[in-house]
Amino acid sequence: MDTNRENIDLFYEEFVVFSKKNPNGHMTEQYTLLAPNAELALMMAQENFMRREPVSDLWVVKRSDITAVKPEDREMLYRLDNKDYRNTKGYGYLKKKWREKEQEMFDEKEILSWAKGVGK
Amino acid sequence: MVDATYDNQVDQQKYQQFMEKIEAGGKIEADDWMPDDYRNALIKLISMHGISEIMGALPEKEWTPKAPSLHRKLGIMAKVQDEMGHGQLLLRVAEDLMAPLGKNREDIMEDLLSGRLKFHNVFHMETKTWADAGIVGWLVDGAAIITQTNMLDSSYGPYARALKRICAEEVFHAQHGEAIIMALAEGTDQQKELIQEALNRWWPALLMFFGPASANTTGSSKQDTTIKYKIRKNTNEELRQHFFTKYVPRILSLGLTIPDETIRYDEENETWIYQQPDWNEFKQIISNNGPRSKERLQLRRISHENNAWVREALGARRNISAV
Repeated sequence: MDTNRENIDLFYEEFVVFSKKNPNGHMTEQYTLLAPNAELALMMAQENFMRREPVSDLWVVKRSDITAVKPEDREMLYRLDNKDYRNTKGYGYLKKKWREKEQEMFDEKEILSWAKGVGK
Repeated sequence: MVDATYDNQVDQQKYQQFMEKIEAGGKIEADDWMPDDYRNALIKLISMHGISEIMGALPEKEWTPKAPSLHRKLGIMAKVQDEMGHGQLLLRVAEDLMAPLGKNREDIMEDLLSGRLKFHNVFHMETKTWADAGIVGWLVDGAAIITQTNMLDSSYGPYARALKRICAEEVFHAQHGEAIIMALAEGTDQQKELIQEALNRWWPALLMFFGPASANTTGSSKQDTTIKYKIRKNTNEELRQHFFTKYVPRILSLGLTIPDETIRYDEENETWIYQQPDWNEFKQIISNNGPRSKERLQLRRISHENNAWVREALGARRNISAV
């Protein structure tokens, strides 16, 4: 057995793989892998994780470059359900008001439908 | 819940929160606090699973040059590639758990080569004919699907996520195996004989795959720990029974005979009665004394040693650029 491990442990750098399915998609964290540099990490990511699913872009990020919330602080991320004024939920009564004035509510569905353009 | 191993109150409280979390269906992540026996059971289970994927590619890779058509060659190559990918994915999960113990990929490989880390009994066996390649895809992967789907809801998040991907690809593997078997089963008498012989050869190994029913058989079993910690749901024996229920009717439907005259389903007790495999042989096999153990380990050793200089050189380059 080769016991020379002076630098071998440094060969194994952890990379996190991110990919997106299509050009409109978001980068999504996939898996981690070990590689000695980013170039090889990209090749390994394609070999190991992109054999079937459609992928339109790919990132690899050194895991040591990611700053994450500490496990004990994750509890902090839970949101209390007491902020109706931040959401449309807090303004739902408007629907009835507009109906009284014989108008439809401009809800999210209606507003986003304007993306189709005007008069087309 | 009280656990005798914690004499200090802080750890006792952490343990209690941990148990409450997993009992409510919560997921544990690599950097979360976890009991030592949870970590150790996961390391043992996942490093063994990961390395078995790597070693499992070897018996099938032997059939890549000998596959009977280009189509079959492409199919089996895709499968071998998947197995290596599964190995990479699982070893990462194990390595994150080992990191606090100061161990990495190199240690996993050295543990494998020195015999400290074991791999699944089925991958110590010979794949004698093309029908063996079919039986491996159909029934060995079938058995693996049964044990792996049982852990899809595992309390350990990274393992559950890796298994989700793996199980999706296993569906392709099972169908790849079925396609090989189906072609032989509908072929000439000689081809049918080929599958029967392969089934006879593989039957005891398939039963062994699920592990002994209790620790009494082989002296150690982690199944109680893994069930207590919601890593898996069922016992070895329950999974073996499930395998019979799912696969015995299909095996018989192809006109094959199960090489066990005693096997029958006892309706009253809803249990399959069957001949136990030789568990002493099982112990021998997983101690790297199986029919092909030495050759397969030797193949892995050659790659590991021949490529050591590349790891050393690229590691050194990182060392220099860091200065």
